[in-house]
Amino acid sequence: MLQIPVEHITLANGLRVVISPDRSAPVATVGVYYQIGFRLEPQGRSGFAHLFEHMMFQGSENAGKMEHIKLVNASGGVLNGTTNYDVTNYFESVPSNALERMLWLEADRMRALKVDDENLRNQRDVVKEEVRVNVMNQPYGGFPWLDLPPVAFRNWPNAHNFYGDFVDLDAATLGDVQHFFKTYYAPNNAVLLMLGDVDPAEGFAYARKYFEDIPPGPLPPRVDVSEKPQTEERRGQVEEKLGTLPAIAIGYHGPARNTPDWFRFAMLDGALHGGRAGRVYRELVLEKQIAVDASGGFDLIESNGPTQMVTRIFHHPKYDSDTAIAAFDQVIAQVREKGIAASELEEVKVKFRSDFYSTLESGMGSSMPRFGLMHYLACFTLFDNDPLRINTILDEFQAVTAARVKEVAQKYLVPENRAVLLRVPIQKPELVGSTAGAR
Amino acid sequence: MSVPATSDNRILRAPPLGPERPVSWARRSVRTLSNGLEVVVAESKSVPKVSAQLFMRSGNAVVAHRSPGLADMTAAVVRTGTESRPSRRIEEDLRRMGGDMSTNAGADSSAIGISGLAEFSQGLLDLMADLARNATLPVAEFERERSQHLEELRIDRTTPGFLGSECLRRVLFGAHPYGIIAPTEEQVKLYTRDALAEFYRTYYVPAESVLLVVGDVDSNKIIDQVEQAFGSWKAPMPLATPRPAPPELTGRRVHLVHLPGTVQTDVLVGNRAITRTDPNWMRMVLTNSIYGGAFHSRLVMNIREQKGYTYSPRSSAVPLRQHGYFAIHAAVRNDVVAASLAEIFYELDRMRALPVGDAELDDARNYLSGVFSLSSSTQDGLLGQLSTVYLDRLAEDYLETYRQRVRALTAEDVLLTARRYLDSKNAQIVVVGDRALIGEQAALFGELETYDAHGNRLGSIF
Repeated sequence: MLQIPVEHITLANGLRVVISPDRSAPVATVGVYYQIGFRLEPQGRSGFAHLFEHMMFQGSENAGKMEHIKLVNASGGVLNGTTNYDVTNYFESVPSNALERMLWLEADRMRALKVDDENLRNQRDVVKEEVRVNVMNQPYGGFPWLDLPPVAFRNWPNAHNFYGDFVDLDAATLGDVQHFFKTYYAPNNAVLLMLGDVDPAEGFAYARKYFEDIPPGPLPPRVDVSEKPQTEERRGQVEEKLGTLPAIAIGYHGPARNTPDWFRFAMLDGALHGGRAGRVYRELVLEKQIAVDASGGFDLIESNGPTQMVTRIFHHPKYDSDTAIAAFDQVIAQVREKGIAASELEEVKVKFRSDFYSTLESGMGSSMPRFGLMHYLACFTLFDNDPLRINTILDEFQAVTAARVKEVAQKYLVPENRAVLLRVPIQKPELVGSTAGAR
Repeated sequence: MSVPATSDNRILRAPPLGPERPVSWARRSVRTLSNGLEVVVAESKSVPKVSAQLFMRSGNAVVAHRSPGLADMTAAVVRTGTESRPSRRIEEDLRRMGGDMSTNAGADSSAIGISGLAEFSQGLLDLMADLARNATLPVAEFERERSQHLEELRIDRTTPGFLGSECLRRVLFGAHPYGIIAPTEEQVKLYTRDALAEFYRTYYVPAESVLLVVGDVDSNKIIDQVEQAFGSWKAPMPLATPRPAPPELTGRRVHLVHLPGTVQTDVLVGNRAITRTDPNWMRMVLTNSIYGGAFHSRLVMNIREQKGYTYSPRSSAVPLRQHGYFAIHAAVRNDVVAASLAEIFYELDRMRALPVGDAELDDARNYLSGVFSLSSSTQDGLLGQLSTVYLDRLAEDYLETYRQRVRALTAEDVLLTARRYLDSKNAQIVVVGDRALIGEQAALFGELETYDAHGNRLGSIF
């Protein structure tokens, strides 16, 4: 199996530093991951973790507004940040001669944020347009990542609007921004990663030089993200304003991270989903032809709390949703009764390994080399306190047996463990002209 | 915890860039098989995987005059059966090798792409060759794909981004095949299995095709495997198709696609420009990058970072094989459509009126050069770069000399390119949104024509 070189230290201020060298190309990816995500944001402040992420590009102690973006682009690099369930990340991929400059930049904004009301107003407007372009003005926008959690979960951290209600976004003040920074952005709540063309000794020296004197803070309060056991199937419905096909999302609560069932459940997910050979696509799209598309998956390594395996089905309008769900239920019944063949499991494992390697190499388009490796290393560090799991975790998935897959199917794939969400197109009056399209 | 109390380590300015390290290019083998298939293999060992793309140099454009989208539908059905493998077997064989596959068509080419674990390179290439040579295009699979495609098209025509691109291409290219990016539902209903089979027989041929392979492989071994999978593939040369000229476009015009009730407006501005084989191509790339092609570009800084009108404004220079075009796109708040267009044109005119300063030029050259190095360091990125070179038949050393060609560009290059190809006087404007909210704003910028989502003209409401 592929072995990835990984070295890691912890600085005096608690900042963890992970380096994975590969000097075959003169490029490096740098990232800082903070252990705060939309699942962990304070109650009543929906969308704040994401709005705050935007503010981290608006100016820090020695790099003003627009300088962050300019410094990276002008160094020949690209940058971004993303807000996730349990982490928020900031990253740059650059020619390796800009490595030190990127570390300076990340340290500068870990040390102090320097933003004003004008910046906040500006980014609030930008975020609203982001929500409109990704959710409100897009067919199936937010389906099902924003639609399903309020139906599937009862505990606010898992169940609220992650992009944020506009009222909550409007209520955010500069004081909130600085308070959030102080609470969640301390070095001891983060990991710094360097990947690619980096000499580890030099990388650690830079980390000390730029980051080690940033004072640590008290760790943020622990958020209780647990869910009470579910006793009956949950159902919900959302209007689809643009798209023409009825859509269904079905989510089953999965096993907790790192438990034996978690590895087994991942293989079950691979057999059900995992492309056109997967049982769900084969039955619903290719064989019964009820669905136009069917796909799904289970967030594994990057999730540190209650997580569902979610199936998304877009079905032909001539079938009603009960028919589509019944066809899906037959797939589930079969895997519960008969399990999966050993040969099928072997194929699923090969595909899992192959996908794992692809994710390591890029994972976010070809201009972010090793983004996926960085993401996995960060999650292993922050959630499991062990970045070296990158080299052993595949073995644990490969060790799963078909008998165990059947067991988890029987245990988890039951109606009282799931939520079903319907996204129903509204009836639209036909506009002028037919679909013939006079060109 | 003890922490150093001094601030000696604080450095107030960004450290300078170190010396740039050279890119060591992947070992590359180029062969032409006796049947005319051009084969390019590059070794890239970052992960134990292999990716291959087979491009046939004919796509939707060659059939646009009689059956728009036929190449797309053919590609979709190619995946669903061969003489020895039914659909299910194809998908399971693929999974057995850790594989992913896509079959699709653009305006200028049809493609079969496959990737998987490097240890299965022969099996992956055999599967790819089986689809390219022995597809049976089963009728039942064709009908299923057609009914799915009809539903996807209906959704496309509710998607603002799609409608904007469709309208802009129709306006810029008129009766030329590039004027159509998707068929109507009626056109899809007219496809026949025989028409697909004829497209497949005529255009899935080795003589006008190129096969690219990148991965953790030994290139000599791959060449042997390719020879085994594709060596006996024979078929005639495809025919050339005459193409009508695109329209002469003079003066700004505004084309509004009416989508009632939208909470945002997609604004597009574009004009025809150049292809990758044009000697001015690199100048165009740099000019676009300064205008709106990068995060730190003028357009993004203006309408996102200063004004907050939009989340993701961008411009791009799009090189199709026969013609290229320049396009700007931003999804903006409904009440700032006119304000956004004003800034878009202000920035266009500034590019045309004033030379770019030294520092900005230097930053932009660094950016292009750096992003190029980033792409070439991953298998997929390298595959993309190689497909550019070999599909467009660019110089053999195009990749190796790219960075030095970027470095040689000047402020005068940018000014002259902007004057020629950022054609603000004759730019075509497309807005997609609710005409009651945006019609008046859009009409400030030129004569306004309004359409529905299917391209039908609507009467004026003013």
